[in-house]
Amino acid sequence: MKIDKKEKAVVVIGSGPGGAQVAYQLTKQGIPVVLLEAGRRIMKEEYVNEEWPAFSQMAWLDKRTMSGNARIVKDFNGLPTWLVKAVGGTATHWAGATPRFLDYEWKTKSTYGSVDGATLMDWPIDGKEMKPYYVKAEDAIGSTHRGGRPPLPANNNYKVFAEGAKRVGYKFYATGPYGTNAAPYDGRPASIQDGFNFQGDKNGSKWNPNVSEIPKALATGKLELRTNSQAVQITTDSSGKADGVLYMDTKTKALHRQEAKVICVAGNSIETPRLFLMSASSRFPNGLANSSDQVGRNYMRHLTGSVYATFDKPVNFFRGETMAGFLADEVKHNPKRGFVGGYYLETLALGPSFLGAFLDPGKWGKKFADMMDGYQNMAGMWIVGEDMPQANNRITLGSAKDAFGLPAPNVHFDDHPNDTAMRNHAYEKGEAIYKAVGATQTYRVTPYPHTHNLGSMRMSAKAKDGVVDKWGRCHDVKNLFVSDGSVMTTGAACNPTLTITALAIRQGEYLADQLKKGNV
Amino acid sequence: MKITRRELLISAGSLLAYSQLGSLANAEVNIAAQPGDQEMIASMCKALYPHDRFPMSIYMDVAAGAIKKGNADTGAKISFRAGLDGLKINKFDKMNFKKQTKYLKSIENTPFFGLVRGHTVVALYDHKEVHKIFGYQGASFDKGGYKDGEYNDLSWLPEPRIEEHPDLTAFLDDSSPKKYASLKIKKTF
Repeated sequence: MKIDKKEKAVVVIGSGPGGAQVAYQLTKQGIPVVLLEAGRRIMKEEYVNEEWPAFSQMAWLDKRTMSGNARIVKDFNGLPTWLVKAVGGTATHWAGATPRFLDYEWKTKSTYGSVDGATLMDWPIDGKEMKPYYVKAEDAIGSTHRGGRPPLPANNNYKVFAEGAKRVGYKFYATGPYGTNAAPYDGRPASIQDGFNFQGDKNGSKWNPNVSEIPKALATGKLELRTNSQAVQITTDSSGKADGVLYMDTKTKALHRQEAKVICVAGNSIETPRLFLMSASSRFPNGLANSSDQVGRNYMRHLTGSVYATFDKPVNFFRGETMAGFLADEVKHNPKRGFVGGYYLETLALGPSFLGAFLDPGKWGKKFADMMDGYQNMAGMWIVGEDMPQANNRITLGSAKDAFGLPAPNVHFDDHPNDTAMRNHAYEKGEAIYKAVGATQTYRVTPYPHTHNLGSMRMSAKAKDGVVDKWGRCHDVKNLFVSDGSVMTTGAACNPTLTITALAIRQGEYLADQLKKGNV
Repeated sequence: MKITRRELLISAGSLLAYSQLGSLANAEVNIAAQPGDQEMIASMCKALYPHDRFPMSIYMDVAAGAIKKGNADTGAKISFRAGLDGLKINKFDKMNFKKQTKYLKSIENTPFFGLVRGHTVVALYDHKEVHKIFGYQGASFDKGGYKDGEYNDLSWLPEPRIEEHPDLTAFLDDSSPKKYASLKIKKTF
């Protein structure tokens, strides 16, 4: 459908898991939505099963800078994250693991107590309230091992991972839960074990909004999807309510304005706060909805890190599903390990092209080459754990300008000692798993740019503690919502997409109800 | 915050370099255009990432790309020229591997080194011949994916369980804050 720019519309900014889901929930209930997406729509036939060409095809490469003491700041200064600029957002690139928050992970301040230098805080919502939305989210994504859906089979990388885990004494390994179909589901086919989940998945077995919520929302006849339309400012009226979005046609660079009655922002943890900061005005001098000074703060990126190992026999770990291997034994909070929170270990395979860039950034020489030389006999896993929110890990407007003359975001990230302690623990456990099945060489891989970007617009019960309330509605601007992972008060150990989806379903249902009642 | 050219090349450069591959400006004076120059750079590429299994032709391809980048702009040209001169004066290609490594260590902080290393790590491991040698088969979509018996052909370990452990739900649900509140963190940091 076509919505006039002068019409006061419901405007959603960003078509990733958060934005596309909210747009679908609203249009499903007959509410027209303008969905602004900065990138273009890449259909699955166009996806490229080669690592660098696919990276060039979809990665968000607009100028960004970094500061802080984390190694990634030095290794990948221009590329703090691996986000996608396309319809479907970063879910185009996600691998697919779908664990839930544990109940106490909604209440980390109460559970862990105070941790020096960390800004832990309990969420204003809890596991009980979220449970039905998790079920809806798993059904939306089609998570394996859930809702009666079958598990994916074991690929070679999982065989090494699972047997190693078993020999170490771990119990809680499986090939999921995972957001790629093991059997046909929701109009999408079963996996053909062709890998390349990170490159979009040509087979369409992997859930992402571009093959699910977007076509469904378009089919309602209530959605106008405007691609190549990058929001650059939210404007407010004399009463302080949001009344419009200025957005740029990224091809012509022409500036447009869409009138709005409600705005939902889902630009991910860097672009969302950047948009709010670029929307500063005389009424909101520190940025829109920023009376708390929390816009951009408490940016988290999960623990991450990887362990790779080579063996004296072939593994061929690149074949099959990219991340269908999951270990939960270390996820529980157990401070006797020397840190708060917990982590998952998940299988991960990279092609030689990416492995060369990420195995040990900046390194060269014989040891590095020898590790790469064992490629065929290699297995790999990724560490995903809870990292500590810190007030100064934040997104600000830097002095550098992007190609459009807009202030480029600066991402400041310092590792917290808890992060470092947890990562070292995970490295040891990961190496133990591989050594238990005969690894000849193991390699600890430092965090590299990835998709897990959380916080920076945190959810809080009180207006002074955060940016949005329990519905994702801005404390300061009542018709302005945040619909992505940036609302996360704390990040938990689990991969975030399922939780982003559950929160977006909940917000979409709430917003539809409020719109129908005329409360917004 | 300003990123210097060097920082870009040795860090994010590895990634961003790829997207810049096609955008090289026309050069008037070309660096490394003498006979033997490409061989010299190739010997450096090989010393950086030594693989006995790789034929020299692969390193020559990688060197050609590095030289192209060395001619990308004036800044690259002057640093590339200086770096290449250093290799020639020191007869880098005639050194043994140990001496080569020592020499490369000594120039590790130069823009020339950053350019060649940053390019090599991307171009070498993205090289189709390297993929073949590594046994990397890459895309399988056009063949209908990896078949049963391919993606799971590892036979030196037993078949693992793929379902979740029956105790998993109880393990994950047992999470009352009370239980953990009594545990005190043993400070190791």
